[in-house]
Amino acid sequence: MRYIQDCEIVAHDLVAPKHWRMRLRSEDIARAAQPGQFCMVEVVETLYPFLRRPMCFSEIHDDGFTLLYKVEGEGTQLLSQRVPGQTCSIQGPLGNGFPIAPELERHVIVSGGIGVAAFPALARALAETCGRPPEVILAARTRELLLCADLFRSLGCTVHLATDDGSAGEKAYAARMLERLGPGPGTLVYACGPMIMMSTTAAVAARAGASCLVSLEAQMACGDGACLGCVVESKVEHEGEKMVRVCVDGPVFDAALIDWEAHNTAYDL
Amino acid sequence: MKNPVTVASGTFGYGEEFDRYFDVSLLGAVTTKSISLKPRAGNKPPRLVETPAGLLNAIGLQNVGIDRFLSQKAPYLRTRNATIIANIYGHSPEEYAELARRLEAEGAADAIEANLSCPNVHDARTAKGAVLVSQSCEAITVYTQAIRDATRLPLYIKLTPNVMNIQEPALAAEAAGADGVCLINTLLGMAINPETRKPRLANIVGGLSGPAIRPVAVKMVWDAARVLRIPIIGTGGISGAASAIEFLLAGATAVSVGSMSFRRPDTALRVVEGIAEYLKRHQIADVNQLIGAMQA
Repeated sequence: MRYIQDCEIVAHDLVAPKHWRMRLRSEDIARAAQPGQFCMVEVVETLYPFLRRPMCFSEIHDDGFTLLYKVEGEGTQLLSQRVPGQTCSIQGPLGNGFPIAPELERHVIVSGGIGVAAFPALARALAETCGRPPEVILAARTRELLLCADLFRSLGCTVHLATDDGSAGEKAYAARMLERLGPGPGTLVYACGPMIMMSTTAAVAARAGASCLVSLEAQMACGDGACLGCVVESKVEHEGEKMVRVCVDGPVFDAALIDWEAHNTAYDL
Repeated sequence: MKNPVTVASGTFGYGEEFDRYFDVSLLGAVTTKSISLKPRAGNKPPRLVETPAGLLNAIGLQNVGIDRFLSQKAPYLRTRNATIIANIYGHSPEEYAELARRLEAEGAADAIEANLSCPNVHDARTAKGAVLVSQSCEAITVYTQAIRDATRLPLYIKLTPNVMNIQEPALAAEAAGADGVCLINTLLGMAINPETRKPRLANIVGGLSGPAIRPVAVKMVWDAARVLRIPIIGTGGISGAASAIEFLLAGATAVSVGSMSFRRPDTALRVVEGIAEYLKRHQIADVNQLIGAMQA
């Protein structure tokens, strides 16, 4: 079931420079949402900015959900000015969430920067269904951008911190941290973050014989598979198509399906 | 059509993408994504850039091709009792004719809309160096006649606004046997990232749509309506009933909701309801009384 609802903003807090956490009320959307799915957020009621912004469900509660976002442009800047008590139009849930596979022996979340938004709901679902909480590699540029560490710990996760500048945890990239944890064939790696981080993480997982799921982000107009704007190139044909849509074929993909080289070239990474 | 509201090709997929939000049979028609003889992968990403009150796209006519349209997409729309305007795209007049013939033979369309105006493909065979078929009146004549000879279905020609005078291509389509024209396709545009100095679209140029282009579209409908005898489907930045009615007043017989379906998938249905409410409020018995009824 998909909804377009005006949801009440219950809380809206600055959690790090340019990073906001917004809790919204909607029992319908909360009931339907799965970890890894996303919604389209109307940042203003007027027609400029024109498009909604795709954001994954960071946490899913009984009576609503939480979004975690970074102010990147005009749209998110305007969204950040919304205050509790106001409503915000939300369309969702959309896309395919993370599959929950309790039969696998080891689950490792690899998070880079604001990519962490995809994982609190997943970590909770894994902790509840897999018998033991996932391990979490939490990486960011610098200490103050390491978000949700306490939340993961409260779920029982082992959290490995890494920063590019060494201001907290290891001075290392996320993929390198994964390598050190020694993933194997029984490991499922979940990655979300900058493209270059996901492609290197996917490569580490592949070398170790581990499976890897990635949650991709893309410019998107509709979120429903109609505009064909959010495609990425696939290595294999998916339902006869070489281009897969992040919105309805993803946003969660098997990393082996994605043509990382083509993607990095397209976006000049 | 049971009402004068459809959706613009390329903004509503094949109908199934949005039919979970509302009953698409309530629209006057569902206009499909452009269908070509062979499936097309479309352009490389990035394909979209948001611009002030609009968006630039360079999708490149990614589509499933006629075979899958006939076997999967059209039958689905039929099960939903939708009226189908099949938008077609080909590389030659013969390809357009074949597409129209097959759609009619299979009962997969109630009308044909020929896309002679996509700005995002580089393989259109055009006359006299024109970039788009519908930038050349001679090409419009050749293509329209070929499709006209191939089908008895109502035939609409979708024209580009990227011309000196919209009346000329519109009249060419009418003279060649079109039953109507659809105005307007997207305006050519581009956007550059000043930090990287790179174009924001992989295709460099794209087509601009959304509320930003509405005044241009209304003007072109008004221009064309003054010289045409055939009906016009007006499109360009319609965001609700009020803007749809603008197009009717300018001379359109029907309207199509475009990019706004991306913002709100049920916009077209809201336009249907909003027009009905407007007619009631103004005590107008028939929506056709609004066509060209601007009081200047």
